[in-house]
Amino acid sequence: MAEQVSAPILEVEGLVVRYGTRTAVDGLSLAVRRGEIFGLLGPNGAGKTSTLSAVEGLLRPAAGGVRVVGRDAALEPLAVRALIGVQLQASSFQAELTLTEILRLYAGLYGLELPAGELSARLHRAGLDDEAGKRYKQTSGGQQQRFSLLVAMLHDPPLLLLDEPTSGLDPQARRQLWAQIERARGEGGSILLTTHSMEEASAVCDRVAIIDHGTLVALGTPAELVEQHRADPRVLRAAHGDVTLEDVFIGLTGDEIRD
Amino acid sequence: MTDIALLKPPSVSVALRSLLRADATVLLRNRQALLLSIVLPVAILFITGSGGGRRQVLDPGYVIGLSITYGLMASGLFGYPMAVARDRESGVFQRMRVTPVPMWTVSVSRIAVQLVLSLVMSLVVLGLGGVRHHLTFGLVNWLLVLAVSLLGAAVFLAIGQAVVGLTTTSGQVNAFSRVLFALLLVVGLIGSSGLLGDTFKTVAGWTPVGGLSYLFNAAMGGVGWGSDQVIGLVASLVYAVVFGYIGVRWFRWTVR
Repeated sequence: MAEQVSAPILEVEGLVVRYGTRTAVDGLSLAVRRGEIFGLLGPNGAGKTSTLSAVEGLLRPAAGGVRVVGRDAALEPLAVRALIGVQLQASSFQAELTLTEILRLYAGLYGLELPAGELSARLHRAGLDDEAGKRYKQTSGGQQQRFSLLVAMLHDPPLLLLDEPTSGLDPQARRQLWAQIERARGEGGSILLTTHSMEEASAVCDRVAIIDHGTLVALGTPAELVEQHRADPRVLRAAHGDVTLEDVFIGLTGDEIRD
Repeated sequence: MTDIALLKPPSVSVALRSLLRADATVLLRNRQALLLSIVLPVAILFITGSGGGRRQVLDPGYVIGLSITYGLMASGLFGYPMAVARDRESGVFQRMRVTPVPMWTVSVSRIAVQLVLSLVMSLVVLGLGGVRHHLTFGLVNWLLVLAVSLLGAAVFLAIGQAVVGLTTTSGQVNAFSRVLFALLLVVGLIGSSGLLGDTFKTVAGWTPVGGLSYLFNAAMGGVGWGSDQVIGLVASLVYAVVFGYIGVRWFRWTVR
C-alpha cells in the first residue's frame, strides 16, 4: 500500500515518437509524483507537444510508453483520458454556446450529471459568475484561460496537463491562474505543464525537465538546475549577472531561434 | 479530488445525450443554417409554383420534391460541412479529442441533428406544398417522402463529409460546396425535368438531385414506381456509401 501511495501519477519510459522519418521524441523518460507541479520546458520543436499527445493517448509511440496511474495511454486511451484534465493552448469551444452550456456539455463527456446549482458554484469559484450566460468568444483572454482550466478540472482529475496555460495573459491574470493551479495541487492533484516562461517555471513548478531534440537535457528543481549548471561555460555565456533558470535553459538548448 | 476508481469513461448514452443537447442548441442558434435549410426551400416552393405559364411546365409534385431537395442540399453541402470545418479550425474538436469519449459519438450527434432538421424541413415543405397546390397526401405518401428525405439527407451529408474530409479550411469548403451545389442543381434539375431531351434526362437520373426528384415524385404519388425510381434509389445508395467512405477515410479532426 505504501508503495502504491508513493508511486508516480505519470510515468514516461523510453518514449519514442516518430512522424515518418523524423523523430520528435527520442527515448524520453520522466515521472510526475503525486501532488507535484512538474514543468516541461523546451524550445519550439523540442518534443513537448508530442510528449503531451502521447500522454493523452492521441498517438501510438514507436517505442517506450506512458502510464497514468498505472494505465497504459496507448492501450487504454479513453480510460487514461478519464484520469486526466487537459488545457490546450490552441483549442476552443463552440461559439454558439454559453459558458454554462459548455460546462454542462463537458460534464456529460466526463460522465457527470451536474445540477444547475453545481455548475453555477463552479463558475463562481473560478470568478466567472457574471460571464455564465456569455458565449466563450465574448469573454476576455484571462477569463477564457480560467474557464478552460475550469473545464479541465471539472471531473477533479488526479493529473492535469496544462499547455502554456498563461500564454498571452497580463500579469494579474497570470497570477490568478497560478493561484488556481496551486489550488488544484492543494486539492490533491498533480500537474504537468509546459511553458516558455522561466519566471513561471521558477515560481510555480516543484521540478522541471528541460528537453531538446526529443531528449532529456536536465531534470530537477529550478534551484537545483541553477546550482548544477552555474559553472557551465554555455550557461555563463548566456548569463547577465546572477545565473537564472532562463540562463540555464538558453545555455543547455542554445540561443538560435527555433520555429 | 475524486476517488480515482470512480473516474471512468462515460457510457455512450450519457455522452451522446450531452452532445445531442449541445449540437441541437448550436443549430437552433445558427440563423443562417435555419434560413438555408427551412426558409429558402419554402420560398422556392412558392416562387416556382406561381405564374400561369410556369405551372404548365412544372408539375406540383416535382416542385415540392425540388424544394425538399434544395433544403437537403443546403443542409448537407453548406450547413454541416461548414460547421465541421469551422469547429476544426478553431480547435473545438482538438479539445473534444482529449475527453474520454470516442470521437465517432461527436460525428453521430452532429449527423443526427442534421437528419432531424432535414426531416422537419421535409414535413414543413410537404405540408405547405400540399396546401399551396391543393394536393392531399395519404399516410403512405408522408412516410415515403420522409424515407426519401432521409435517403437524400444521407446522400448530401455524405457529399458534405467528403468535402470537409478532402479540404482543410472553411474557405475551401465554402468554395467547393458552392461549385458542387450549382453543378448538382443545374444538371439534376434541368436534366430530370426533360427540358433538354431524353438522353440528358437519362443521365440526370443518375445524379443525386435527378435520382431524388424521381423518388420524391413517386413517393408523392405523382408517378408509379418504375425503372427511373430504381435507378434513383440505387444511385442514391451508392453516393451515400462512396462519399461517406471518402469523407470518413480522409477526414482529420485537427488541421494544426
